[in-house]
Amino acid sequence: MNEYKLTIGIETHVQLKTKTKLFSGSDNDDRDTLPNTKVNHIDFGMPGALPVLNKKAVDLAMRAAFALNTKPQKYSKFDRKHYFYPDLPMGYQISQFDEPIILGGFVDIYVNNEKKKIGITRAHLEADAGKSVHPENSDYSLVDLNRSGTPLLEIVSEPDMHSSAEARAYAKEIYLLMKFAGVSNANLFYGNMRFDVNVSVSKDDVLGTRAEIKNLNSFRSVEKAVEYEYKRQVELLESGEKIIQETRGWDDSKNITYSMRSKENADDYRYMPEPDVPPIELTDEQISETEKSMPILPFTLRDKLLEKNIDPAIIDVLLESDAEYSLENTKSIINENDARQIANLIVNIEVPLRAKDTEVKISNEDRINAYKNVMLLLDSNKLSSSNAKILIEEILLSDNVADVEKLAEQKGLLQTVNTDDIMKFIAQVVSENPAAVEDIKAGQEKAIGYLVGQVMKLSQGKTNPEVAKQLISDHLKTL
Amino acid sequence: MDKKLSTEDVSKLAKLARLKLTDQEKEKYANELSGILDYVELLSKVDVGDLKPTHQVTGLKNVMREDEIIDYGYDVKSLMNNVKEEKDGYIKVKRMIG
Repeated sequence: MNEYKLTIGIETHVQLKTKTKLFSGSDNDDRDTLPNTKVNHIDFGMPGALPVLNKKAVDLAMRAAFALNTKPQKYSKFDRKHYFYPDLPMGYQISQFDEPIILGGFVDIYVNNEKKKIGITRAHLEADAGKSVHPENSDYSLVDLNRSGTPLLEIVSEPDMHSSAEARAYAKEIYLLMKFAGVSNANLFYGNMRFDVNVSVSKDDVLGTRAEIKNLNSFRSVEKAVEYEYKRQVELLESGEKIIQETRGWDDSKNITYSMRSKENADDYRYMPEPDVPPIELTDEQISETEKSMPILPFTLRDKLLEKNIDPAIIDVLLESDAEYSLENTKSIINENDARQIANLIVNIEVPLRAKDTEVKISNEDRINAYKNVMLLLDSNKLSSSNAKILIEEILLSDNVADVEKLAEQKGLLQTVNTDDIMKFIAQVVSENPAAVEDIKAGQEKAIGYLVGQVMKLSQGKTNPEVAKQLISDHLKTL
Repeated sequence: MDKKLSTEDVSKLAKLARLKLTDQEKEKYANELSGILDYVELLSKVDVGDLKPTHQVTGLKNVMREDEIIDYGYDVKSLMNNVKEEKDGYIKVKRMIG
């Protein structure tokens, strides 16, 4: 049996970080609000209402273009996409059809430490529809129009992905890009990003019939949905059946996709130019100003950290924690000599600490300075690497750390570098462990580690183990 | 002359518009809509050569507002007066999914 080649393209709906809606002045933040309270006559599709474009949404779309390694189109326009559904009061969605604000671009993803370029076909601005709920055991649905009119940027990728891991990496990279570029809050819990994944399988280079899995809202579900679809489609083809082009939903608890109502063909949307919203024409100055205002983006940070020989898995966690907790760890450590060590501490101590919902009170600036000072203590052998972890945790849980060394001293975490003290401990350990001493003398170098451990224990961890080891070794030669 | 729109075309349009039509109505609309299409087809006689399509006739561009919340001067609750049925603040509609 020939292997089936898997092909994936992803459409991502990104909710833009604006205060108000795309075409109306209603509050765009519908988190935890009562239904139908953040609406107006425009969102409700009242006859005669005039949509007026939100300038901020255009600015954010321009930023998105640079995050996707391209420039915004100087000319773009809006179109009506018609369909009738209870969550769409106007009977059409204002979107961009043939002249979107972004054309082309690409995203670099890393899978198994290999960089891969995923092409971007286009990205366009559009207004979101309302939200509906379907109470169980009832014959009705309920519509909330708070989300109606929310600005979205729909980013369409080329069918350049060929594994579930690539699909996941792409989804995550789009998340990082939109977050770093300030385009979106990208809060997946509140549905700020939704992924529609197109999946097909084929034994040759001709693309197979695709199924579109709609409304995935986590990286995990993107990955799992692709895996399930691959299996389902291959099994169908192997048993001599055909794949039908359709829209499928995703059941997150059962990890399966299921058939939804057959999709309307694209030309059924009866696109027409939107007469109420004049086109967007960007000036060269606007475009270059936006380019200048772009922050450092994840792909640049990743490259710089790779230069420092930091493990790609560590970099992923670091970038994600920056995005998730609005921190700037990555940016602040790329030029540090100890970038690798700091990255390890952040990933091994701070990220798990934050994941436990522990309240981190210290300011971001103080944190980063504290990390640098911890590095200084490590470099000068005043702190052991295991105590560094304890110290970082202490720092993160305090609200103000003026003097890191003083805190370390107060908490008894500093190493005693006083040789006389260490010699006292060594004398005691040597006299208490004659068997180990004999072993070392007989050439079993490993036994020295045991003595070092005993010295550490006696000194309550305040001895530098490297120093202790050297001193024990010297001491035994004199015996 | 053949009708521009068959009753099947009308069925499809009705489905897209979520309208329920009787066979009689489909027949009627097929005739009427075909008549409209015939009339509109007069436009195809005009030679547009290599004219660019006109999307907008106002000549306006970049009509935008700042991203500020606007008080439209009425109680948004009144919008719900236009709704046929309300439940717990939601708009109650026929069930959309099974």
